[in-house]
Amino acid sequence: MIHFISKRLRHSLVLLFMASLVCFTLVVSAPGNVAVLIAELRGAVATPGYVEKVAEEIGLHKPLLMRYAGWLGDAVRGDFGISYRTGQEVSADLPKRMLVTGTLIVGSAVVATLLGLALGFLGAFWPYRLPDRVSRGLALLGASTPTFFVGALMIYGFSVTFQLFPSFGFGGPESWVLPWVTVAVLPAAVLSRVVRVGLEEAMASPFVLTAKSKGLGRTAILFRDALPNIIPVFINALGTQVGLMTATAIIVEPLFAWQGVGDYFLQGVKFRDFMVVQACLLIFLAFFIVVNLIVDLAVLMTDPRVRRQWS
Amino acid sequence: MSFNRRTFLQIGSGALGLAITDATFTKFAFAEGAAGTLRVAIAKPAGNLDPQSHYAIWAIQDLMFEPLVRYGKGGQIEPCLATDWKIEEGGKTLHLTLRQGVTFQDGTVFDAASCKWNLERWLGLDQFSWMNCSKYFQSLEVIDEHQIAVHFKEPPLALMQELSYTRPPRFLSPKSVDANGKFVEPVGTGPWRQLGADDTQSVFERYDGYWGDKPTYQRLEAKVIPDPRARVAALRAGEIDLVGGFWIAPLTPVEAKQLEAAGLNVVIDPGNVTLVMAFNPDRTEALKDPQVRKAVSIGIDRAAISQALYQGFARPAGNLFSDALPFAGTQHDAPVRDVAAASALLEKAGWTGGPVRSKDGTPLTLEIVVSPDAVPGSRVVAEVIQSEMKEIGINLIVRSVDHASKHTDMLERKYDLGFFLTYGAPYDPFGTVVALCLSTFKNDVEGKLFTDPANLDPLINAATAATGDQIAPSIQKVYDWLRDNDAIAPLVYVPSIWAHSKRVQGFTSPVTEYDMPYENIVLAE
Repeated sequence: MIHFISKRLRHSLVLLFMASLVCFTLVVSAPGNVAVLIAELRGAVATPGYVEKVAEEIGLHKPLLMRYAGWLGDAVRGDFGISYRTGQEVSADLPKRMLVTGTLIVGSAVVATLLGLALGFLGAFWPYRLPDRVSRGLALLGASTPTFFVGALMIYGFSVTFQLFPSFGFGGPESWVLPWVTVAVLPAAVLSRVVRVGLEEAMASPFVLTAKSKGLGRTAILFRDALPNIIPVFINALGTQVGLMTATAIIVEPLFAWQGVGDYFLQGVKFRDFMVVQACLLIFLAFFIVVNLIVDLAVLMTDPRVRRQWS
Repeated sequence: MSFNRRTFLQIGSGALGLAITDATFTKFAFAEGAAGTLRVAIAKPAGNLDPQSHYAIWAIQDLMFEPLVRYGKGGQIEPCLATDWKIEEGGKTLHLTLRQGVTFQDGTVFDAASCKWNLERWLGLDQFSWMNCSKYFQSLEVIDEHQIAVHFKEPPLALMQELSYTRPPRFLSPKSVDANGKFVEPVGTGPWRQLGADDTQSVFERYDGYWGDKPTYQRLEAKVIPDPRARVAALRAGEIDLVGGFWIAPLTPVEAKQLEAAGLNVVIDPGNVTLVMAFNPDRTEALKDPQVRKAVSIGIDRAAISQALYQGFARPAGNLFSDALPFAGTQHDAPVRDVAAASALLEKAGWTGGPVRSKDGTPLTLEIVVSPDAVPGSRVVAEVIQSEMKEIGINLIVRSVDHASKHTDMLERKYDLGFFLTYGAPYDPFGTVVALCLSTFKNDVEGKLFTDPANLDPLINAATAATGDQIAPSIQKVYDWLRDNDAIAPLVYVPSIWAHSKRVQGFTSPVTEYDMPYENIVLAE
């Protein structure tokens, strides 16, 4: 297992480096002069030469490789530089923003897991009957509705019309409900199908026939015999969905006025705030890699076939 | 105890009931708002509030920091921390009488010494040389505890207007900086004192030691809501009381209509910013001919743009500045679309044939550069104009770019037609005329609306050098030249849009887009 982890970590580091290089190239090759944008942001009328001063200040005159090397060296030490837009240290802003995004992703993952399992079991318990059709319909609806639209509907329904939950802010459990559900809808739809199909396959296996012949009921077989068999597949699917939630966070955080990493990234992109964009991308990538690592370890522990392969 | 389906359903419905009860009670906490608190939306965190830095939201600084004089309706200069002022020695000396009985929010007295300390933080510094009073600053003289004189090398243009700006001329307590003079906390003389601020909100309480009319409510919360749809939803849900302002939390005309339909109060002010179309004769030969420029201008249906993009809230423009600004000049009606006249002008200019006119084998193709990030709605306006130009035989290509690219393209003049927004009060008329039309003024951000070193520059220089009664006729010559040469095409006067809940009463639009309109509000609890 140690061999497995060390190999995965080595791959992750190479991946991180390459991804940061690609991101850097994309950001710097975008058209337009970021110094003009910053000068405009700082004052109504820019002084003659002020744009030049800004360009000097943020190091736009340095060669690209030097800029990248400088940034990478500082980033390794936890210093992500100064935001062009706010003039504040990026690393000072990040911890509280990571807490917000962490709350969003963890909460949404829990909601998606519960909803996905519930809908999947509903379909598996009454296959090809009304509950199964309803579950399939809901999954189709959830998977095909854009997240921003789900969020807008949630706000309109639960905040504007019924005033049950706040429409914005990161103020406490009641303010977490709508963003969690908004983010969870799509992953829950995907997971419900994974559970439903996985359970159907498991229920057609010979060991289920054996269990039935031993006199066990359908519920007992579903939970005791079929469920453990779909866990590795479910964990894999959940891992992918959790990784994708970082992308969803970029849409959902501004919608609910959550000042998380997704919102920070979006602001950074709008203003070509290279320091912020790079830091956020690095966090997203690191998160994706860590999630995949955890998923691999979880699968290793839950699937004896994989365990045997690495032992 | 056995766990059967009935138990599961009982527990489930109990939990659901509890959740709904909890949420219902919570609703009262967030939806109704605390008594005596005005909740305003802001699109981004307030930022570093140092009046001499460039990062903060102007309107938040306006809550705490006051100027020597205020910019009133129609550009009227009104007393604030200075009760009287005299411009002497042909404009080279400003004599100020300071208001007595004013204290900063930390108890420090506002007097000539603290006034001098503040002025020295920015007057004469290169960073602020875009302001005439800083560019021509010579010295400061404390006459007595409540009188001060500022001496200039040259008479600064629009001096009193400049002193009303939100930054840098506003006053900070000398105790709110560290030993190195670096800004530590926002302490001003204004009616609001900051209690705390983070990325989600800025909270203020009324400063009861304020010298002027105090707000009728105790607390003001500026809530950060970056997404425009979320701001609209929050107002409809009763979680905020006030939304609007171009630099605070902009509302689009469509959103304003939605809010109006939902029964909220929408306030439309004619505003003091103009959307202007620029021609670039340096890039396209055709645009060197004033007849072609005029044809393009009268080929545009301004009323349709006002109706389609601004939901009828914007007034079609016939001038560079609306009469809401001082020295706006003679007001002309907006040109009415006249396809026949436009076509005739193009024929006369030698552009003939169809469907795209041509001259000496060159088709009349123009490119308009738009950036909806920089000028909201500009792409839609460009598409409307594109179809209108087609009717008079001009092939208009719309190139949509992002904010940064728009700046670069405008600076490098990589466009035939483009949109500009004038600066608005308190910067105009001179802010726009000098920065966007004077060829010798280096504007490294927006580019130029129209320049003509031989003919237009002398008129602008004469206008900026004029004093007293000479200002109006001399700036009128600038407007007349622009009009006679069809150098620009003003399109619409961009309205200032605000919306508020029923809880807010007595709301009036702010005089400039940089002010927070808290003053006349009374909260109906």
